[in-house]
Amino acid sequence: MSAGTRGAALAALTASIVLSAAGQLAMKLGMRELHRAGELAGADWSALGPAVTWTGAGLASYAVSMLAWLLVLARYPLSYAYPLLGLSYVLVYAVATHWSRLGESATPLRVLGTVLVVTGVALVSSTRERGDEA
Amino acid sequence: MDELLLLSSVLLLAAGQIFQKRGAARHLAVSRDAWAWRRALSSPEILAAMTCLGAGTAVWLAVLYRMDVSKAFPILSASAVVVLVASRLLLGERVSPQRWGGALLVAIGVALVAAS
Repeated sequence: MSAGTRGAALAALTASIVLSAAGQLAMKLGMRELHRAGELAGADWSALGPAVTWTGAGLASYAVSMLAWLLVLARYPLSYAYPLLGLSYVLVYAVATHWSRLGESATPLRVLGTVLVVTGVALVSSTRERGDEA
Repeated sequence: MDELLLLSSVLLLAAGQIFQKRGAARHLAVSRDAWAWRRALSSPEILAAMTCLGAGTAVWLAVLYRMDVSKAFPILSASAVVVLVASRLLLGERVSPQRWGGALLVAIGVALVAAS
């Protein structure tokens, strides 16, 4: 792989990770808005606006991350590339528990479990063997 | 119900990854010009991947409607374990002991988050 194509593959990998995390958060916001709209008495369709907007933005972000992912997959074996997507778990967790708009609670068990997931993912992805690059 | 929805999402998204890898390796590994992309996007592998990912995403929205994303998303990493096993068994990729160890940690982490 030349320096240029290596850089492009790395950029595609970064885009995949960041956009997939952003997509998850936006989809969650959309579902939260949908929940809220469902709780409002009467059929106030305007309450669905934010739900549709956030969910749409989340799906679009997710779709673009998929396209970037196809580029990544053309370069790396799946068992090497996929675990790197685990970095998006950190992004999602940090934002969901620290952004007041979502305000999810960071329970000790959930923190420990997420740390193990991220550690496991790092362990899996740090393996670099001969034949790892397609 | 939450568990069933999550499990469906995990399996559908993992299957989507396997199909995507097969499609990309077969049609985009050598050349990535417009024709290669056109062939790739209309290939059975990528169409199957789109179907799995579409269905998995729809189920995932139902999961997010019912659960915290900070709980549901780490559990989704179980698909990394499924993909690792599948890339060994179905794609014939080499998987080192270190990777299996990592997969085990992920599995334990998922169990803890699921119990939270």
